Amino acid sequence: MSERRVAVTGAGVVSPLGCSFDEFHAALCEARPGIRRLSPDTAQGSGVQVGAAIDWQPTAHFKEGEAANLDRASQFALVASAQAIAASGLDVSTERERIGVYWGTGLGGATTLETAYKQVYGAGEWRVRPLTVVMAMNNAAGSNVAVRHGLRGPFANFATACSSSAMALGEAMRAIQSGRADAMVAGGSEALLVPGTLAAWHALRTLAAADPANAAASCKPFDKRRAGLVLGEGSAAFVLEEESRARARGAPVLALLTGYGNSCDATHMSRPDRDGQIRALRAALDDAALAPDAIGYVNAHGTATSVGDVVESEAINAVFGAATEALPVSSTKSLHGHLLGSAGALEFGAALLPLLRGVLPPTAFLDQPDPACKLRHVPKAAQEIAPPRAVMSNSFAFGGSNVVLVAERV
Amino acid sequence: MDTLNRIKDLASKEFSLDAGALDPAAPLDKLGIDSLSFIEFMFKVEEEFGVSVSDEDLKGIRTLADLERHVATALASAGKA
Repeated sequence: MSERRVAVTGAGVVSPLGCSFDEFHAALCEARPGIRRLSPDTAQGSGVQVGAAIDWQPTAHFKEGEAANLDRASQFALVASAQAIAASGLDVSTERERIGVYWGTGLGGATTLETAYKQVYGAGEWRVRPLTVVMAMNNAAGSNVAVRHGLRGPFANFATACSSSAMALGEAMRAIQSGRADAMVAGGSEALLVPGTLAAWHALRTLAAADPANAAASCKPFDKRRAGLVLGEGSAAFVLEEESRARARGAPVLALLTGYGNSCDATHMSRPDRDGQIRALRAALDDAALAPDAIGYVNAHGTATSVGDVVESEAINAVFGAATEALPVSSTKSLHGHLLGSAGALEFGAALLPLLRGVLPPTAFLDQPDPACKLRHVPKAAQEIAPPRAVMSNSFAFGGSNVVLVAERV
Repeated sequence: MDTLNRIKDLASKEFSLDAGALDPAAPLDKLGIDSLSFIEFMFKVEEEFGVSVSDEDLKGIRTLADLERHVATALASAGKA
């Protein structure tokens, strides 16, 4: 284990379940869903019926001219990261070369790109906004965070689909452990609920249709009736700091980030691979130097696809063995949907709930567990527990990129 | 509203500046308008007035007053003013 340990000292959230870390946790405790029917225009333009969209008012957070020059994904990123920095109390006005930004996003500025394409292909008009490139580029959100706060340390943007922001957190942890930085703002953002991108996802036939009885219950991970994933949008950001430095300044230490596992299936572009996931799970446990039974909660990737949930369940059983029976596992995607590039960071935030409040977030709407997913579920409602020693968050992405994070109680 | 005031109005919205305090003779960088922001602003000016300012002319624009002259010339040659 590295001598430089990494503390989580601040969190910020912009999500379908609320726009602060506390609101997000409160919604998970109450199993309050963020999934709903998409607007008729979006649904008609894409064929996709449900999503976890944020009721977002840019002018509540930015001046009008400023908001117009920031893609929605960057707006989410700026708000979540500002919350995290404020909560941490980190002074970003000094030693800026020692503070960096590692960010994750799947698609970058999808709204900006779509607007430009509509102009070119739809209206036959080649004149598009000059800021299109810098608003749409994949690293725009993270760069905006660095620019806003003047953070001059290491910078990277990870685009590994659904593991992007989990990787940003894991690599930010490494940057601090290795001494390349003393503090990092790490997280991810995604905003792609626009017709062109949704239509592409629809074509993959992995999205759930609206549950006819209750649209909010359309995403059913680990349930026999599961029908696919529901896309969401938002951002989650964390301030990570070298522990002794954080303690010395009296920072609020929420948890320690102690384990990071990273592997590639290297088998298929979209079909998950049990062995690849096992490698990432074991690597994270080894990194944290923890035995499987030290983990008291797993926030599963759990997208609610027919294959994915079974493969993940098998991987967890293979790694945790006999301890699986007592290991609570849930997929909070049932409530907030799949935030893709931002999912890993948001779900890392969900995994901190048992550590911080002694509450297991549920897999909402899980009425009929699939026997092929042999896990100790947290069905339908949150459960109170004694805070465990450690928790885990899984992110298994298209392209075969697997990231597992482990956090420990302070 | 005359051309200069329309430009000042657009600039105040784009850059969140007080229109009354915008000195048309001040260099753009002194107003806090960098080159990238200016290119984006020009796009909106062209939309607003329905004119096109060439890349060559753009390079010579250092102030809002310069911009007004170019827009006025473009409007005149298009028969719009």
